[in-house]
Amino acid sequence: MMSEAETAFSIRGLDLWYGKSQALKSVTADLPARSVTALIGPSGCGKSTFLRTLNRMNDLVGGVRIEGSVLYDGVDVLSPSTDVIDLRKRVGMVFQKPNPFPMSLYDNIAYGPRVHGVKDKARLDDVVESSLVRAALFDEVKDRLHESALGLSGGQQQRLCIARVLAVEPEVVLMDEPTSALDPISTAKIEALLDELKRDYTIVIVTHNMQQAGRVSDRTAFFLLGELVEYAATKELFFNPADERTENYISGRFG
Amino acid sequence: MRNGAKRSQAVAFGAIRFLSVLTIVILGLILGFILFKGLRYSSVERGTVLAMAEREPDGFVVVVNAGRDMETASWDELYGMFSDEYINWAKLDGGADDLLPVAVDPASEDGAAVEAFLFGSEDAGGYPLWGGLVRFAPTAAEALAIVASTPGAVCVVAADSVVAADGVVPSAAAAGAGGVKTLGIRRLAVAINSDVSDFVGDSYLEDLSDDDLEGLFSGRIRNWAELGGPDLAVAPLAPPEGGALAAAWERAGLSGSGGGSADSGAEGMAAYLSGLYDTSGAVGPAFALDASLAGIPTAWLTRRVSGWNLTPRFILEAPRLSGKTGGISSIILNTLFMVLLTMAMAAPIGVAAAVYLVEYARDGRVLALLRLGTETLAGIPSIIFGLFGFLFFVDVLGFGFGLLSGSLTLTLMILPTIVRSAEEALKAVPRSMREGSLALGATKLQTIGRVVVPAAMPGIATGVILAMGRAVGETAALIFTMGSDYQLADGLFSSARSLSTHVYLLFAEGVSFDKAFATATVLVVVVLGINLAAKRVISSMSRSGAARQGNA
Ligand SMILES: Nc1ncnc2c1ncn2[C@@H]1O[C@H](COP(=O)(O)OP(=O)(O)OP(=O)(O)O)[C@@H](O)[C@H]1O
Ligand SMILES: [Mg+2]
Repeated sequence: MMSEAETAFSIRGLDLWYGKSQALKSVTADLPARSVTALIGPSGCGKSTFLRTLNRMNDLVGGVRIEGSVLYDGVDVLSPSTDVIDLRKRVGMVFQKPNPFPMSLYDNIAYGPRVHGVKDKARLDDVVESSLVRAALFDEVKDRLHESALGLSGGQQQRLCIARVLAVEPEVVLMDEPTSALDPISTAKIEALLDELKRDYTIVIVTHNMQQAGRVSDRTAFFLLGELVEYAATKELFFNPADERTENYISGRFG
Repeated sequence: MRNGAKRSQAVAFGAIRFLSVLTIVILGLILGFILFKGLRYSSVERGTVLAMAEREPDGFVVVVNAGRDMETASWDELYGMFSDEYINWAKLDGGADDLLPVAVDPASEDGAAVEAFLFGSEDAGGYPLWGGLVRFAPTAAEALAIVASTPGAVCVVAADSVVAADGVVPSAAAAGAGGVKTLGIRRLAVAINSDVSDFVGDSYLEDLSDDDLEGLFSGRIRNWAELGGPDLAVAPLAPPEGGALAAAWERAGLSGSGGGSADSGAEGMAAYLSGLYDTSGAVGPAFALDASLAGIPTAWLTRRVSGWNLTPRFILEAPRLSGKTGGISSIILNTLFMVLLTMAMAAPIGVAAAVYLVEYARDGRVLALLRLGTETLAGIPSIIFGLFGFLFFVDVLGFGFGLLSGSLTLTLMILPTIVRSAEEALKAVPRSMREGSLALGATKLQTIGRVVVPAAMPGIATGVILAMGRAVGETAALIFTMGSDYQLADGLFSSARSLSTHVYLLFAEGVSFDKAFATATVLVVVVLGINLAAKRVISSMSRSGAARQGNA
């Protein structure tokens, strides 16, 4: 089925250097739309770097040099002429540590629509509510929308950050270890949420948790030392890895 | 080993505790001292008459406009009002009005009586010395009407021409010209024989306090040498019984001995005065005019007076005579203008510079130079800023001494503080906050304006408020730039003085220590108020979520 799915990101020969050290080596892959792709691999293998290339967050780091091509929906992501604002609007991102803004819940979620020019109060109300509902947070916080977001628990804050991304109506949500700072219950809630979200969104998630990758993802990519070693349907990669290094990693021999 | 470590820890802990308590005690002492000196004045007043005031001396009343800030006048003051010693009220009650002495024409019978009261009768050697300012009215009623309608007027009339005890005159009230009131007159002096008051060698009779007077008349002090005078026995004389002098003497609370002659008429009085004149070592009460006409010296008297220094009037009234009298209302307002103007320039520029340094400037030589510049500026003494401000703003740019020059100088002075604190606050905003905003498709400017600066706001506000405190307390940078006019500023180029400059000038020019302390108290309260307001602003910001970054 996967092979028939439409492609969201088409990556060809992607090389990336931080100064002189190469963090990504000739990565080639097609990430399918409306499904969950997991990125796994030992620490420092380039998962975050790869993820941040997809919405050009690496622009913020000085001394980065990139070669190769990344196409999203026909748009050349890496081209200097690409509208980064529009790209990031379509390709949202959730970070490892919850990073709510120091303002009310409402303002946090309305932030994205507002910077994109939405001023109408009724429409903002709608967006805030529907985003919170989709992020499975609405019932817990509906009475305190105008209180500071910093008063939420870590798990709630992370779901708020997801709702904040959803509020700008992206097509893709990139997640960099979204549950690594959370307790098991919050983690379970977010995993359940991913299952819901993949019907409408393309999701790329970095995780260190092999079980999590197995539970939530449709396809999995295994990175090692900046190289994309193996990229296949999750079940296949876990139960029938083609590469010896993948097998070693999955069976816990390194990383 | 263990015990030794424990002991040294205990000693260190004790020392720290002791020092911190000491600091707090010293702080409390300083604040308490300034507040006490600011709230109460207590000074020694020196004069030749006792504090006791008569409402109707010899059946006359001294009437002034009800608006005057004066309750009693000494005989010298009264005499001076009618002999051109004063031309306005500044030295009398601190008021700004011109003085207008009014009297009934001495050609009339009433007028002649007043003349005798003020200057002494011809028999007693008096001589009318009317000043040129005096305006003569045909009748007492007309004189009173003038006083009722002229803020700076004063008149002396027979007591029975004023009807009501509260001093409201029917004719004046009917004219709808406002009220009048009577002044109490202090004219009871202590006359001493000239043997006592003259220099003898290098000794000279010192000023007499209330306690000295009590001693002289109760018999406790028997020799003038005890008071620094010559070696002469004290010979207290009592005034003729039943007369006005004896009554006043009794009211002053000093008539211990009694035993004056029974003749309270003019002859008895003359005998009493010549007793004072002739008797070596004599001392006794005398009205100031009588003593001077009789050529008897009077002693210098001192008494401690105290009262409220910092009054609502002091805050609400404009200063007069360089702040010697009046209040500080215009100075408070000028300070406010100065601070607002300074902050309106310094806060936006400082925050913008900090944003540039933190968010835009690339590390490099320019940035390093800028950093060095701000750090050096922050350490330069404010007097240097004052000199620079004088040369540049006052002179080269030609702004002159005024609010604008002063505020610009202060702006330069406090900018480094604001830039540095804002820089720190901006740097403390976590990267994840910026990334979160950028990842939502916000531009860099939006990110800075809507997330980074608001998140740094408590820190920025703290820096701005600290800088504001520095501006309010600044003196040296302002003396050469803002001028020292104590009137309310009427424009950007108007010379003005701030509260702290006022305190400095009151001291430096020896205008009034009491007023300096009262102003200092206001300054301290203003600074405390600014700090408290700052705390509230910051804590309310924290409540709305801008202070800590959750579990970041
Ligand atoms: N800003 C940077 N500047 C220089 N080198 C960097 C930078 N960010 C990452 N690197 C390097 O690039 C390599 C890949 O880093 P990356 O963060 O992508 O790894 P990761 O797979 O996400 O690791 P982790 O699982 O620990 O998050 C690492 O060797 C890292 O040290
Ligand atoms: Mg990572």
